[in-house]
Amino acid sequence: MTMTTRREAMALISGALASTTLGGSAFAQGAPKKGGTLRISAPANPSSLDPATGGAGSDHAFLFTMYDTLTEWEFDTLKPKPGLAESWKFTDPTTLVLNIRSGVTFHDGTPLDAEAVKFNLDRNRSDAKSNIKADLLSVASVEVTGPQQVTLKLKTPDTALPGILSDRAGMMVSPAALKAAEGGVVTRKPVGAGAYAFVSWADGEKIVVKRNAKYWKPDRPYPDGIEFSIIPELTTGARSVSAGQNDLIYQLPPRQKAIIERASSVKVVHGPTLYVFQIFLNWAKPPFDNVKVRQALNFAIDRESFVKAALAGLAEPAYMNLPKSHWAYNAEVAKLYPYDPGKARKLLAEAGFKEGTPIEIGGYSDQDSVQREEILIEQFRKAGMNVRFVNAPIAEASAAFFGPEKKGSGLLAAWTGRPDPSLTYSLMFTKDAYYNGGRAPVPTELVAAIKDSRASEDIEVRRKAFATVQRLVMENAFVVPLAFQFELVAMNKKVQGYRPNLLGKPKYDDVWLEG
Amino acid sequence: MARRSPVKVIGSRLVQALPVILLATFMVFALLKLVPGDIAVTLAGDNATDARITEIRQIYGLDRPFLVQYGAWLGHVVQGDLSQSLLTGEKVADSIGRAFPNTLLIVVIALVLALITGIPMGVMAAIKPNGWVDKLISMIASLGVAVPGFWLAMILVAEFSLKLNWLPATGAKSFSVSPVDAVRHALLPAIAIAAYGMAEVARQLRGALLEVLSSQYVRTLHAKGLSISRILWQHGLKNVSVNLLTIISLLVNRMLAATVVIEAVFAIPGLGSLIVRGAIQRDFPIVQGVVFTMVVVVIAVNLITDLLCAAVDPRIEQ
Repeated sequence: MTMTTRREAMALISGALASTTLGGSAFAQGAPKKGGTLRISAPANPSSLDPATGGAGSDHAFLFTMYDTLTEWEFDTLKPKPGLAESWKFTDPTTLVLNIRSGVTFHDGTPLDAEAVKFNLDRNRSDAKSNIKADLLSVASVEVTGPQQVTLKLKTPDTALPGILSDRAGMMVSPAALKAAEGGVVTRKPVGAGAYAFVSWADGEKIVVKRNAKYWKPDRPYPDGIEFSIIPELTTGARSVSAGQNDLIYQLPPRQKAIIERASSVKVVHGPTLYVFQIFLNWAKPPFDNVKVRQALNFAIDRESFVKAALAGLAEPAYMNLPKSHWAYNAEVAKLYPYDPGKARKLLAEAGFKEGTPIEIGGYSDQDSVQREEILIEQFRKAGMNVRFVNAPIAEASAAFFGPEKKGSGLLAAWTGRPDPSLTYSLMFTKDAYYNGGRAPVPTELVAAIKDSRASEDIEVRRKAFATVQRLVMENAFVVPLAFQFELVAMNKKVQGYRPNLLGKPKYDDVWLEG
Repeated sequence: MARRSPVKVIGSRLVQALPVILLATFMVFALLKLVPGDIAVTLAGDNATDARITEIRQIYGLDRPFLVQYGAWLGHVVQGDLSQSLLTGEKVADSIGRAFPNTLLIVVIALVLALITGIPMGVMAAIKPNGWVDKLISMIASLGVAVPGFWLAMILVAEFSLKLNWLPATGAKSFSVSPVDAVRHALLPAIAIAAYGMAEVARQLRGALLEVLSSQYVRTLHAKGLSISRILWQHGLKNVSVNLLTIISLLVNRMLAATVVIEAVFAIPGLGSLIVRGAIQRDFPIVQGVVFTMVVVVIAVNLITDLLCAAVDPRIEQ
């Protein structure tokens, strides 16, 4: 069933091209077999290998190999499914019961029981060093209600939790290792219960993990281990795969596809992700304090052309913060901003916005970002808008826009998506959210709608609630979504069973090596 | 004039080096604090809140005054501790200890290549100035100076790694584990930065030799009936050895700097990659540590050059 959904979704998005490329990889030939070392070119050194203290979205590619999560998700839709918790239930809106799989142990032999889960959840939500306190804000207490059962008492109904527990907050660390570790963090000595156990980490160079022989999932993992070589320069990383020094590289920019496909030993797979290029807006100050100007911006963009020109067609046009294949996608909201430069001009006139007034928007200075800007400048020009991009490196540009400086009226950047959509919306579209650059208020009905989206467990009810959230965000045009980037992964032809996922953070669950 | 003992010379030079080290690290520290971008935001993670960022600043002491932060860093350095990465907690000394040999190997190979190609070129060009050999060599040298190292690097990879598969395209291996493998990995990046060195050695050597060869005592040697090759190898090169040593020391410093770009092209985990990562993430202990190491290396190279120059040419006073 999942395969059909995936193939349908893919066909919808990028036609025959997608399904043929995917065909070769998704249906691995022959029976999976064990052995071999998977060598991966990774684009960034992790910020930490302790899930609670790390900060970068790129960490997950390492963390997922070593830590199993309480819940997991379907690769295609991100619907939560059982993980270390074999089942969960909301016995009432503010009580979540998790039943923990029995017989699972951490890499150091510590049993993964209810006490261990409570220890982790309490640490994640209250330890001073924890970066994920905000994820578990709704939890009032965690109680052990059986040897393999914990009960979460909530301050407010929060049905986003099963999704949240598939991410950092649900990654279980050995309590014994945490208690023994200096400062109570396992940044450099991670001990989880995942498919692979940690071996070594040389900063900026290499991370090595080996098969967890006692892993609870039958027959997994197939490879004996994984070696991540950290190669920040993606062109160099891609070369290491075509030269056969590495087996796989992920997070390739679209322009690399044509180049790397020239190597006969390499195959490429891609699939949609939640990673969305977008223009963040500061709606606390002119000109974007006027909703009509913000709407005009949204009408001015020809997203189809943008995808073709800036992303080599390897993306899905974005009309909201969720792509078509996501369970909470709403087709009606997606119709709000068809490409209409005439309408954009009209809205600008209504807003009293003088044509040609310069608008300053921040951006990043790398080659791909600049290319995206060039296309946008031209599209905005057609709608009578004179947009100027002021570029800086990522850390600098985003700190200037989201931090106290409040530089520029907007920022062309990206949002990496979250396991539960309510996080995406509350992290950007609530008054005090860091990613609400102007910290400006939002309509009370939006606040209520975001709250509603976490109130019911029924997926249909949630879908409706998200439709409201998305409609309000887009009607107010608090953001200009542009395109969902595809995950682009290139690998040696001997790598089998790799599947892209919608979160866009690679997992190697079914990967095996041929020959 | 009585000559000072080398021990005293080294001692006084080390004392002079201290303010240089202080100034360099202080300026880099100031630069890192002046440019926008905040490691607290990186540390606070994807789901950052204003409160969390403030909390992080307190935990890591990033809210302290600038001079206090520098002083704290310096205090650790004086005790022999380069402190640790703010992001990953790895000891900076460990990172540098791992990265430095990779960079050093590239620079050493590049220097050897530059010398064994550059010296014969310079000599040949000086024998018949403005002859066709000289013109050809000067053309090659101009190319060597003009071609950017990173471009040459990519051409080398395309040809020797991807097409011919002779040498690895990326990465580095430890020299102590497998010297052959280590040299194989370092060869292409070394060639890429050696091109400039070769050109520089050839040009400078040609100029210096021409000056020596046109001097009066060489005319006397000619008159005495010495062959041109004996004049060159016995007298000419001896007299330009000070120039050569100076070129070498400048080259080493320059090649160290060139590794920043070359290491990115070849994904070599050396000092260059380390400082780039540190600077991008505003992980200042790493940047400070690398700058400190680089300054020490440059000072050491200059000191050794000076001592060698004095040894070959007694006229040079310390």
